[in-house]
Amino acid sequence: MSDSGIMVRLHGISKTYGEGEAQVQVLKGLDLEVRRGEMLAIVGPSGVGKSTLLHLVGLLDRADEGIVEIDGQDTGNLSSSERARLRNSLLGFVFQHHHLLDELDARDNVALPMRIGGKSATLARRRAEGLLDTVGLSQRMTHYPDQLSGGEQQRTAVARALVMRPGLLLADEPTGNLDRTASETVFRLIRNLHAEENLTSVIVTHNEKMAGQCDRIFKLAPADQSSGYVDVS
Amino acid sequence: MRAELHLARRYLIGLGRRTNVATVTLISLVGLGLGVVALVVTLALLEGFQSSIRRDLVERSTHAQIRPASGRVLGEPDQLASLLHEGLPDVEIVRSVRGNCLVASTVDAVPALVVGRSDVESVMADRVLAARLGIGAAGAVDVISSRRRLTPLGPVPVRARVDIAEVGAAEPGQEGGVLTVPLEVAQRIIWGSPEVEALDLKDLSAPWKLGATVRKILAGRDDIVILGLDDLNRPLLLALALERILIFVAVGLILVVAALNLLCNVAMVAAEKRRDLAVLTSLGLEPVRVRRLFLLLGLGIGAAGAFGGAVVGVATAWILDATGALPLPRGVFVVSSVPFSVDPMMVAKVVGLALFLSALASWLPSRVVARREPAEGLRYE
Repeated sequence: MSDSGIMVRLHGISKTYGEGEAQVQVLKGLDLEVRRGEMLAIVGPSGVGKSTLLHLVGLLDRADEGIVEIDGQDTGNLSSSERARLRNSLLGFVFQHHHLLDELDARDNVALPMRIGGKSATLARRRAEGLLDTVGLSQRMTHYPDQLSGGEQQRTAVARALVMRPGLLLADEPTGNLDRTASETVFRLIRNLHAEENLTSVIVTHNEKMAGQCDRIFKLAPADQSSGYVDVS
Repeated sequence: MRAELHLARRYLIGLGRRTNVATVTLISLVGLGLGVVALVVTLALLEGFQSSIRRDLVERSTHAQIRPASGRVLGEPDQLASLLHEGLPDVEIVRSVRGNCLVASTVDAVPALVVGRSDVESVMADRVLAARLGIGAAGAVDVISSRRRLTPLGPVPVRARVDIAEVGAAEPGQEGGVLTVPLEVAQRIIWGSPEVEALDLKDLSAPWKLGATVRKILAGRDDIVILGLDDLNRPLLLALALERILIFVAVGLILVVAALNLLCNVAMVAAEKRRDLAVLTSLGLEPVRVRRLFLLLGLGIGAAGAFGGAVVGVATAWILDATGALPLPRGVFVVSSVPFSVDPMMVAKVVGLALFLSALASWLPSRVVARREPAEGLRYE
């Protein structure tokens, strides 16, 4: 990891979807820095580009213009394979839908990033079991996703995001599909693990209460509005 | 690689839980399996018939032949024979002459090949000739040569009457009728003098290698030509090889159709797994490994079909051959039931072809899948 205090730096980011008349500019000239160890909430109305922003930070998509630096590294010139390796080693994702693989049980789902990273099955399973224990699912290790509740599925997804000990956790509305109790449990879990694992976290959310518990809030407005992007600290 | 194998295995096992994809996968698997069964059984049948023809060829034909390099008369046949006896003491050596003659019975007269052999003591007509002339054992025929002798009435063809002692099977590839007579009789009819045209050699222990062995022993002789079993039966053997290739290609098309079905199947899995692939990519699976995962999926289905089909095909061929379940009319064929012979190398080639086509069928969808940006799959979801 770089010694710099900045984990994520975006400069002049623009992103457009579609072509011709169907073209929609989602992000325009966006600048953003996320400090190491910071927990940043990204808020804004639907369709404003929150998920797009998260995908760009997570190297899941490429910006049309601008610079994306992760951990001091400019990712613009990285090949697809290099980006994939960086995602595996440095980034952890939690999606709105749990996105667990139906064919794998909870333990194998959590262990998957380690298997992809070339770690042995035994080591990956041991780490996965430890993490499932941490998220309170030690009794559900051999359960398949369809045998878990929504909250349990999302806690499993959180465990999977952390199994490679990433420096940066990216969560896209992690509680968007959960009831209030489950939402609070999952968010509390993310916050605790953020502190325990020394993470930098970027969380996209609609939940103002949740955003308020983060270190900083970054508010996105539609790209064509003059107000642009507001840092609400 | 281990992660892709793990995932491919879990996907294949998990297919049973998704009815539509599982059904299509089962159809792909059965299609490939049936293609392999068809190819293995057909080629085993072909190999069975061709083996019986080759066995027959070895039993009846000359395994090597020494002929003069120019002209028809072999010089110093006795010296050559003693040289060969020294090098190959167990090989049977026969002096022979051959010529086309008119063979006449009371019913008909037809052109036929007259072969004189030093190991023959009585006259034998093959079945083709016997049928054409309407004769059987104990009949008699006139052999009329193209050689002429001068008589007070002018030149007339040399003619000899011979008694048929036996009617035997025709040599493979001989369709014109053959009359085999003692050497002296043939020499008198064809040459009028004790000439020898060829030395025919037979070695049942290594029939296909005899030509090469004789060439080594008689190396440096440019007055003779040495023909092996392959050379002597080249048209027949070429026809058999061509038949095998054409059948392989024709029946192999079934495998191509099955592979196209597999392509649809893998494409369907790719469409269904769009979200999973985006997630796997987000977890760090490189594009090349995504492609490998789909290749493994296709190969997994292909391997199950190919090996399953090979086992069923070999078992079917073996049972049909062992039980003689498909009888043949007596007297028409040299075998009493349809013969099946499984050549392990041929089975390996069929399985290899099935696996190759499976890999090819999986390669196209795997390329498309590997090119997708992960965010596309997540947005799609």
